[in-house]
Amino acid sequence: MKRKRDWFLIFGVIYLVLLAGFATFGPAIRKAQLTTTAKQLDPTLREYDPVMDRVSAKIHAPPGGEAILGTDELQRDILARLAAGARISLFVGFTVQVIAVVVGVTIGMLGVFAPRWLRGPILRFTDGMFAFPDILLAVLIISAIGFGVLPVIAALAITAWPSITRLTVTQVATLKDREYVVAAKAAGAPTIYLIFKHILPQMTSVLMAYSMIELAGTILAESTLSFLGIGVQPPEATWGNMIFNARLNMNSYPIELLWPCLLLSLTIFALNFVGDGIIARSDAKSR
Amino acid sequence: MQLARALFLRVLFGALSLLFISFVTFLADEIQPGDRATVDAGEKARVETVLRLREIYGLNRPWPVRYAEYVGKTVQGDFGTSYYGVKEPVNKIIARNFPVTVIVATSAITLASIFGIFLGTLASIWANRVGDRTILVGSTLFVTLPNFVLAPILVFIFCLQMDYLPQTWSVDRPQGDFWFFILPVAVLAARPTALLTRLTRAKMVETMQQEFIRACVAKGVPKFRLVVRHGLRNAILPVITAIGTSFGALLTGSFVVETVFNLPGIGFLTIDAIRKGDMPVIQACVLLTGAMFIFLNLIVDLILPLLDPRIRESQV
Repeated sequence: MKRKRDWFLIFGVIYLVLLAGFATFGPAIRKAQLTTTAKQLDPTLREYDPVMDRVSAKIHAPPGGEAILGTDELQRDILARLAAGARISLFVGFTVQVIAVVVGVTIGMLGVFAPRWLRGPILRFTDGMFAFPDILLAVLIISAIGFGVLPVIAALAITAWPSITRLTVTQVATLKDREYVVAAKAAGAPTIYLIFKHILPQMTSVLMAYSMIELAGTILAESTLSFLGIGVQPPEATWGNMIFNARLNMNSYPIELLWPCLLLSLTIFALNFVGDGIIARSDAKSR
Repeated sequence: MQLARALFLRVLFGALSLLFISFVTFLADEIQPGDRATVDAGEKARVETVLRLREIYGLNRPWPVRYAEYVGKTVQGDFGTSYYGVKEPVNKIIARNFPVTVIVATSAITLASIFGIFLGTLASIWANRVGDRTILVGSTLFVTLPNFVLAPILVFIFCLQMDYLPQTWSVDRPQGDFWFFILPVAVLAARPTALLTRLTRAKMVETMQQEFIRACVAKGVPKFRLVVRHGLRNAILPVITAIGTSFGALLTGSFVVETVFNLPGIGFLTIDAIRKGDMPVIQACVLLTGAMFIFLNLIVDLILPLLDPRIRESQV
């Protein structure tokens, strides 16, 4: 039987690779020309910073000129700012997910293998944290520790781990009764060995898929916080605060709104496609 | 008897969660640099002034004492006074803002339930045909589309291009409140509608394949009755749970929509308070929305056994 091609998965992967490339090399696009213009506009400028500096004499220069996607209300290059925003989003997203996976899997393993009196409270606490609305907790944490990249990472990591823990618990519950695990246990392997050698390797693809989907949620949450003005602060560029700014000028210059909205939506779609695709594939394999 | 025990455990868990939230909000105030004394003393105050104010406000006492006092006052509905402005009592501010959030969230969840269940059922009847595909793709789109992307798009179309609807809430509202609520409700309803559509479709497709449905078809039950009475009645339970959680999410997560449309609700209030650093208001908002969320989940847990005899049996 011929396997159906997962077009969505392929699209998602290609898009994410392009996005990573854009985040890395985006600020370098046409940097030479923009540097000259920026220095003409501000002779005292030592080094051109794509995120902060003016590159056009015109506010809201239309797309297609010196700055490819036009400039914003402070005459800054929108393309370079989008790339900087991609950097922040990906950095925050990946850091949060790495923390969430490490913490979530550890607590999940404890929830399965810890002594009985510890297991119950751990699982109950996880359920409680999972049920509690993420954004509310994130907002509360932000209000306590302030704004910026690091507080956002902390707030989102604290809200992100419970879903990974729940996934781990359900996965391990089926995996630990597989015959090879039971066999290894009967042969006298210690629990820690079982976890690292026999259980974790079996979980990786599902774990990866879920954290992809969670990554979409994290990136969305980061943009939301920045959009609300309590996340990453200007003049730092993020998609969230770019959307916020663009919205203020929507009457006169609506095109500015298009770019960050488009990038953010596409990124979230792509991550969901990739996550779903991986899950579908590993399901097909296990059947 | 055992049902009562199960219910009691649920309520107890809810109360514990609430206590946990109250502790977290208290902790947030402790971690945050600055307190009522530093705010009241002002930026240029001398250290002695701040210390004396702390003494007067009782902020020097150990934290368990202050936490107990905080919980005690909160239970009595006293959230203290705002740090800024005329130092209005927080519960008055909340009372002013709360109805807006409730109106918007309730309208949104009502719309979402009606459209979601309707579209989902429709999709399941057309399973795997063009109509079904269209509904599925549309709902996938709206599940993932962020609110703050959807909102500007709608504003652009309906306010700027067509000039039909007011763009944001203003103090005098010549057209009446109704028009101001249309866009926020639409934006808020989009995601739950899509979620409920997908869920209803999945559960309906699952149900309609079961044997009792085939028996009904053989018996000659009319199509409409078959879908609504036999199919939907069985498929709806997870959907109701989802309606409950979505409603909770709407009540707690209306930050974006309220900020975008300047609606003076709880979400708007929370964000505004965080920007100002007005801790009593933040605490009250988080506590209130958290309590509502727990309460809604509790209600759903209580309603489900009433609707489905199977759950009633299994809990015993």
